[in-house]
Formats: sequence, structure tokens, C-alpha cells
Amino acid sequence: MSARRAVLLVGSARPRGTGNSEAIGSYLLERLAEGGMDTEVLHVSRTQRPEKERQLLQAVDGAELFVLSTPLYVDALPYLVTRSAERIAAHRTATPVPSAVGFVALVNCGFPEWEHTKTALEICRVFARQSGFAWMGGLGYGAGEAIGGRSLEEVGGLIRSLRQGLDVAAEALLAGRPVPEGAQALLARPMVPSRLYTVLGSIGWLRAARRKGTLGKLGDRPLE
Amino acid sequence: MNKGSDVTHATVDQGAVLPATRAVVLNGALRGDETLAPIESMLLELLRETGAGVRDFQLRDIPLAHCQGCFECWLETPGLCKVDGDAGREITGALIGSDLMVLLTPVTFGGYSSEIKKAMDRSICLVSPFFRRVGGEVHHKRRYRHYPALAGVGVLREPDEEQERIFGTLVERNALNLASPVTAVCVLPAGAPPTVVRERLAASLEPVLGHLARRVA
Ligand SMILES: Cc1cc2nc3c(=O)[nH]c(=O)nc-3n(C[C@H](O)[C@H](O)[C@H](O)COP(=O)(O)O)c2cc1C
Repeated sequence: MSARRAVLLVGSARPRGTGNSEAIGSYLLERLAEGGMDTEVLHVSRTQRPEKERQLLQAVDGAELFVLSTPLYVDALPYLVTRSAERIAAHRTATPVPSAVGFVALVNCGFPEWEHTKTALEICRVFARQSGFAWMGGLGYGAGEAIGGRSLEEVGGLIRSLRQGLDVAAEALLAGRPVPEGAQALLARPMVPSRLYTVLGSIGWLRAARRKGTLGKLGDRPLE
Repeated sequence: MNKGSDVTHATVDQGAVLPATRAVVLNGALRGDETLAPIESMLLELLRETGAGVRDFQLRDIPLAHCQGCFECWLETPGLCKVDGDAGREITGALIGSDLMVLLTPVTFGGYSSEIKKAMDRSICLVSPFFRRVGGEVHHKRRYRHYPALAGVGVLREPDEEQERIFGTLVERNALNLASPVTAVCVLPAGAPPTVVRERLAASLEPVLGHLARRVA
């Protein structure tokens, strides 16, 4: 029997090892590996050249499960993810698809409410339908910036419910089932109250601006 | 860089005062897809009938880097993407200086094409990093005093109600985040006859065309 295989595509444009999507996707992938799956991680920023794109298409076609973990950009999937999705869909509709591949989407966003990710998750579902993937479900997560690109274990108790939700998702996916609704309920639990998150977020911007010497300029209107 | 537009800024050209750019169209057709061209012609016609100057960007022919997710447009060079030397600043400048932005795109999994996404991802410099609350949700504060109305014109190769619904939601969500005062959505079948295209565009875009005409007047 051939090994079960999961491929993670990280949708962030940020450098490898620094993004929140990578942290979330890697956590899920580790649970899948513990459950006996072979795993592979690809980054959307490194799969745009033709030869790398071929690798991505092959990896996806040869997988049992294709996992996308991506940030939300302007209410939808980022450019690099959209472009890859266009190429994957074109490839899988033009050539006979070798075997059934499941697709699961993890979308995190900067605002505290996970609901901002709903449209992107719907886009992922249509992508799955049009590309001949079995839709294994999607999970949205708000306040992704609080992860700060660290591994989810490192972030600690603040995001316990995110880890729990991903554990629930991994268990279902290992059993060949779609992500259950309970997993989204866990990811929907706010790590801190929304108002506190925005206060902390604003302090974060101000601190960063002070370091860069742009504190008085954050409201500039250079295009007016 | 500015292909297919008739007018850019209020200038005197051979004795005639040309109208200022008030509407910007981003054409997100992918390479090899010509289904958007007849719809774009009709759209430009309708926009010009309001008296507005129109600027039209054929995104696939324009050098534009993708957003790197670094937030330097909020921190290092507030209001400007740190990437200079491509069309990013020109496009965002045209958008924020306009009264109406139109996203013309093949409906792609219910959303925008990658070409539109590349331009839209670069638009976050138009808002502030700080937060405001709208309907119980957090969004970004405005950076500018004036924002354009937003219209989405999607072209579908085959009828698909699910994609149509998602497309409409996406345009509405963008309008919320970009503080657009008026929004409209139109989804058209590829290859529709010109009379149908004109009729449906005029009906669906009526709120934003009205907004544009009032701004021009
Ligand atoms: C261009 C751009 C657009 C974004 N748009 C949204 C948005 O519409 N809503 C939201 O909640 N967060 C938005 N974000 C925030 C990201 O989704 C968030 O920071 C995410 O955690 C980044 O993940 P990453 O580290 O994997 O790139 C945006 C970020 C960028 C860079």
C-alpha cells in the first residue's frame, strides 16, 4: 500500500519561517504526521516559476490531502494563492486527475473576528469543486497577528483553543472525514476580547513606528 | 502604462478642456482571455456618458510586484508601498483620486482574478493601520478624507449562482474595508450580446453611475 501523503501550501508572501499561516499549517501537518502521514511543505512564494510550479502540481496530484494555510488579503485569498489556484484548476481540468485528493483550507486574518475569512473560505470551496478536489472543509481564524510567526506551542495558552480546533480537524482528516463543525467553534473563541486586541494592536503599531522614526507620520496622505 | 484610456487629467489639449479623471477601471483579464474586451468597451462608454474622465488599466500588461505582506506601507513609508519603480503607486494614486473604481474581472472561484488581486493587495496603503468598528466588526480607520465608490463587474463563463453570490459578497466586503460610499455589482455571462451587456451594466451600476454623474456635475 502506498504511503498516505499530505501536502501543505503556505499562502503567505512573508519569508519562510516568519508567517502566521505557516505556523498554523505546520501545526496541523505535524498532527497528520503523528497519525502516520508523509508530509511536505511548499511555499506559494517559491512555486511561481514554471519548474517549481510543476513540482507543486505533481505534489498535489500525488497527495491524499492538500492543505492550504493562508492569510486573508483584502477579504480574499492573496494574489500568489489566487494565481496558484488558477494554475492548479487549469491543470486539473486539462488532464485526467490521477486519484481522489482531499482539499482543506485554513485562513487566518488580522482582525479579531474569524468571520472576515468566510468569503475566502467560500472561494476555497469553489476552487475545490472546480479543480476536482474533495472538499474536506475550511477553518477561519481571527487575530492571526498575535501568533507573531512563532510555532503554536511557543505562543502558549493564549491560543489553546486554536490548537484544540486543529487537533479535532487532524483527527477527522486522518480518519478520512471532513473537518467537523466543532473545530470551527474552537477556532472562533477569541483569544482576548476584541477591544483589548485592538488596543494592543494599536500600541504595537505605535511602538513599531517609534522604532522606525515615523511616529508622527502614520496618518500621512502622500497621494492626496 | 495607461492603455486604452481617453483622458487622464484636466489639461488643455488642442484648445479643448478635457475632463478630470473621475473613474478608474482595473481590467483583470488573464493573458489569452479576450472575453472581457467587449464588456470593457461598453463599460467605458457608460462611464464617459456621465461626463467623467476615465482611466483604464490593463493589469496584465503592467509591471506590478505582488504585496510582500510587510506592512511597511503603514510603518516605514506611511501611505506608500515601499516598492517603487513599478505601477503600484500610480494605480493606488489613481484609485484614491477617483470617485469610482471599477474592478472588471473574470469571476474566479467566486472572487477576483489574480491580476485584480495583485492590484488590490497593494491597496492597503490607502487605509490607516488603526481600527474602527463597523456593525460589531473591526475594520481599519480611513487614511484619506475621500474614497471612491466601488463597482465589481464579473464575467462568468457558465452560469453559477454560488459564484455570483460570493462575488457580490466580496465586493460588499471590500467596500466596507475601503470605506467606499456607494457600491454596485454586476455579473455578466461571457459572450453576451452587446445590447444585453449595456442594459445589464446600466441597470446594475446605476447607483455608482449616479454617484459619478453627481460628482462630475
Ligand atoms: C495586503 C494585506 C491585506 C490584508 N487584508 C486583511 C483583511 O482584509 N482582513 C483581515 O482581517 N486581515 C487582513 N490582513 C492581515 C493578515 O491576514 C494577517 O496579518 C495574517 O495573520 C498574516 O499572515 P502571514 O503571517 O501568514 O502572512 C491583510 C494583510 C495584508 C498584508
